[in-house]
Amino acid sequence: MKQWWLRPAVRIGAALLLPVVVPAIITLLLWALPGDPVSIICPEELCTGGAALAEKWNLDRGPLHFYGSWLGGAIGGDFGATWRWQAGTPIAGLMAESTPTTLALLGFALVSVGLGTVVGASQRLPRRALAVAQVVGLVPGIVLALAGAAWIELTYGAASFVGPAAWARLLVGAGVIGLADGALSGAVSGTDGLFRAESRQRYVGIAILRGERVLSNTLPNVTPALAGQLRARTLHLLSGAVIVEAVVGIDGLGDLLLRGALHQDFGLVLASATAFAVFSSVLLLGQAAVEIATAVIVRRAPPGVLGGP
Amino acid sequence: MNPRLPFALIAISCLLIMLLAAGFAPEHLAEKVPELKWAGPAGLPPFGADDGGRALLDYAMQGARVVAVPSLIAGLVVAGFATLGGVLRAMGVGWLDRMLQAGGEVVGALPRMVVVLVVALVVPDEWRGLLPLAVTWALLSAPGAMDEAAAVAERLGGSRFVEALRAHGYSARRVYLYHIVALNLRPVVVRQAAEVMMQVVFLEIGLSYIAEEENQADFTHPANLKSWANLLKLGYASLVVDVPSGHALALGVALIGVVAVMSLALGRAVSAR
Repeated sequence: MKQWWLRPAVRIGAALLLPVVVPAIITLLLWALPGDPVSIICPEELCTGGAALAEKWNLDRGPLHFYGSWLGGAIGGDFGATWRWQAGTPIAGLMAESTPTTLALLGFALVSVGLGTVVGASQRLPRRALAVAQVVGLVPGIVLALAGAAWIELTYGAASFVGPAAWARLLVGAGVIGLADGALSGAVSGTDGLFRAESRQRYVGIAILRGERVLSNTLPNVTPALAGQLRARTLHLLSGAVIVEAVVGIDGLGDLLLRGALHQDFGLVLASATAFAVFSSVLLLGQAAVEIATAVIVRRAPPGVLGGP
Repeated sequence: MNPRLPFALIAISCLLIMLLAAGFAPEHLAEKVPELKWAGPAGLPPFGADDGGRALLDYAMQGARVVAVPSLIAGLVVAGFATLGGVLRAMGVGWLDRMLQAGGEVVGALPRMVVVLVVALVVPDEWRGLLPLAVTWALLSAPGAMDEAAAVAERLGGSRFVEALRAHGYSARRVYLYHIVALNLRPVVVRQAAEVMMQVVFLEIGLSYIAEEENQADFTHPANLKSWANLLKLGYASLVVDVPSGHALALGVALIGVVAVMSLALGRAVSAR
């Protein structure tokens, strides 16, 4: 492809825009809702002093002012305070506690997906084993999460959130999102399909005749697609983490977002959705980096080939 | 016998049962009957009773009512987009194809659940329900489905396949609707639609369960209706405390199983020969 840089450039552009656009859209939606945004924090029939609150939360001078001040604060690490859920709690503190937990959860869950990718790339998994993995993958996260939560409750008690219980919750949660909703089976079958299709290419046959290994020939060509699959699967895990964190009792970013949505806490949703947008941006940048690296390596052709030196 | 027929029969049966249950679901649960508290399937056929002696059958039917139409619409939305993706690739409209791909990249850049929760938050009260969330989920799933359908069209030969068939004298309508969509895109389009239907049901159960746990208003259904998540919630107690509600858990899990089987069977019923 002549314009090999186009796809990574689009991804880098999207990665840079996402953390700015996501809060902008949420802000616009907040103002697009019927009624005044202040009435969400302070419904007229329930409380007085709405004007003072509006001034305090920068809601009194329209969406642009609110967005500008919120974004300025967020860049400096100040995400404001919760509006309705534990009203007035600084969100930065909540995020500082929950972000490492979600990253750990994601890291553990990626072990399962990584393993699935390696097994898929080896193309040695028997069809029957794949079928079993696919059946397990059909079980929704909520069912596995309930089973995990029940086990934790029986083993450590319902109100146990520190020490070994916290680790158990994290590992059970990671196991659930790594297995449920087709995470593991998708990794195996997706990678297997990718390598199988590439192995059928003519150049691979020629390489085998020359005594070369299949993997060393196919890997450079499938790497960008593999990176795309991995990004999609990581997003899938992040998506699953939202429900699993809430059911298993893990104080992560997904749990925070869900509580914000349930309690109609725009402040909390704004901050946690932006954090997810930052995660997504990092993933996009990672995929772009892989694509660029692969393009550079593949285009470094031997002398006389593909216009090389 | 056509080997796909049993799968088709299973899928249609499951779908019909779900639609019938949704159609005949009561508006409200019946009055409490204390003497039937936690009655098993033998005490109050066919599924037993809850802690108030109310039939779990009503829970199952109301849950079907919550999910049936929104999940069907979500499936149709995805099927429509997947068909569009495949047909566009077959037509060889390169610029539109590329634009849709770029759009899909952006749409698919965020975790779906995050977008769904933001939508759930901003949907006005009068529109609250599963349908907006289901359509959002379908729109977020559409790029993947379009990609897969486009890949199928590309393997056929794209616009060259269309040219070849046109040269054989077939009309454009027949080529696109019959040869491309019905014969070649069908397996991918229907499977994607079935998967999204299943995902929407699971999404509803997940969101309802957590709303119930937090004692908050449900995103997905009005207060007078019960979701299948309520069955799981009732049944969960049997796992951790001494409450005889295992039959509720079994029913909840069985209903989830029915949806999964329906989705699998639908995919197998339309698989390529």
